[in-house]
Amino acid sequence: MKDLIKETIEKIKDQGIAPEPRWKYLVKKYGMWCVFGIAVFFGSISFSVAFDMLRQLDWDLYRFAHQSAIVYSLSLLPYFWIVLIGIFLTLAFFDLRKTETGYKYGWLKMSLASIGGIVAIGFVFSSVGLGGKFNDTLARDIPYYGQHMMITKESQWMQPENGFLSGTLTAISDGKLEINDLNGQKWNVVLSGKTLIRPAVNVAKGEMIKIIGSKKNANDFEALEIRPWMGQGMMNGSGIGRGGNAMMNGGRGMMNEN
Amino acid sequence: MQKNNNQTDAELIELAKNDPELFGLLMGRYQVQLSHYIRRMTQLGQDDVQDLLQEIFIKIYQKLNEYDEVLKFSSWAYRIAHNHIVDYFRKAGARPKFNSLEDYEWEKIIGASVHIEKDIMNRDCVEKVKVCISQLPMKYKEVLILRFVEEKEYEEIMDILKKPKGSVATLIARGKETLIKKLKEQNINCF
Repeated sequence: MKDLIKETIEKIKDQGIAPEPRWKYLVKKYGMWCVFGIAVFFGSISFSVAFDMLRQLDWDLYRFAHQSAIVYSLSLLPYFWIVLIGIFLTLAFFDLRKTETGYKYGWLKMSLASIGGIVAIGFVFSSVGLGGKFNDTLARDIPYYGQHMMITKESQWMQPENGFLSGTLTAISDGKLEINDLNGQKWNVVLSGKTLIRPAVNVAKGEMIKIIGSKKNANDFEALEIRPWMGQGMMNGSGIGRGGNAMMNGGRGMMNEN
Repeated sequence: MQKNNNQTDAELIELAKNDPELFGLLMGRYQVQLSHYIRRMTQLGQDDVQDLLQEIFIKIYQKLNEYDEVLKFSSWAYRIAHNHIVDYFRKAGARPKFNSLEDYEWEKIIGASVHIEKDIMNRDCVEKVKVCISQLPMKYKEVLILRFVEEKEYEEIMDILKKPKGSVATLIARGKETLIKKLKEQNINCF
């Protein structure tokens, strides 16, 4: 037994074997944490972009689109960003597992740490507007992304064939509105006794509105419901604004004919 | 040397980085344990075990700067030994066999798995159980050796195999269950 020790020491000396420098180990150690940080960072950016996208959409339109809530929601999901979140989440998970102490924790804790990190930082990014800015930059610099991979409020509300229209009010008369849609096309919007004007809508020239209804002709649209551009138009969440029930006959959001 | 013999593993590691002679003291402390471990995990003869052990000690020496005092030195050394054995069998393209345990070592595994009294174990029965244990997947055999032959705590096995504690416990439990199932399948009911 003693010989083995002696032989090993001689071999170490003869072959000039030395401990590997500590910096190599430190580079590997901190490199793993850097990769984890990078994965969480980009995962959080992806999360904030997806969250900002989803937040601006109107989720109750399935009733008017004659679809189930699930099918309609699935059609709105930003799959590109969801796939990216999945990739960065997987990278973060496996990288965390490979860190020096990563083996001590079960998959549940590791998953929660990775998901929690991405979601928490993603919310922070979203709250400071980073997701929105990133999305805008991509849409501006990569036309394909802007045209085919983004689901925006604009694309959601520029489907007159499906009963969704939006634009800027250009003229208001009793029972009729004129708007320029987001593509600059002029529309005559007919209001009826059943048209619901949400309480927060300010029906005035220059205001942007969203309209649910049906397309009658190339430039004619019959309104079933009118909402302000931002939000659903409920006031303090009650849905009752000035003018009582906000129906055309019983009162309206705020109509300034001129 | 006598003075150095009283030093902790961590202190010796620091000194050994600049003086291979002092690494000899560390080798002396773990030579027997690691030698048994290698023998238990492989079926190699004494010379081959010694060759493997030397390679493992050299690897440990090369990695001295990686050692983190959070771990027990023995766990860290076992981890390197474990990885080296796995690499060895991968390179050799062979599977480690499991018939190189001493009788008392078999008894430890069998006793822990099927709850038998030593005095009612008969030789023929033990031989049959040995065959069943040999047929267990490697992942079960290695945890059973570490737990019941090496008598390592769960935390140490976790550090050696780099697996979460829950996974270690699961592997041990499944290893035992698989063994009992195999015994039943083969109608070994001699206890």
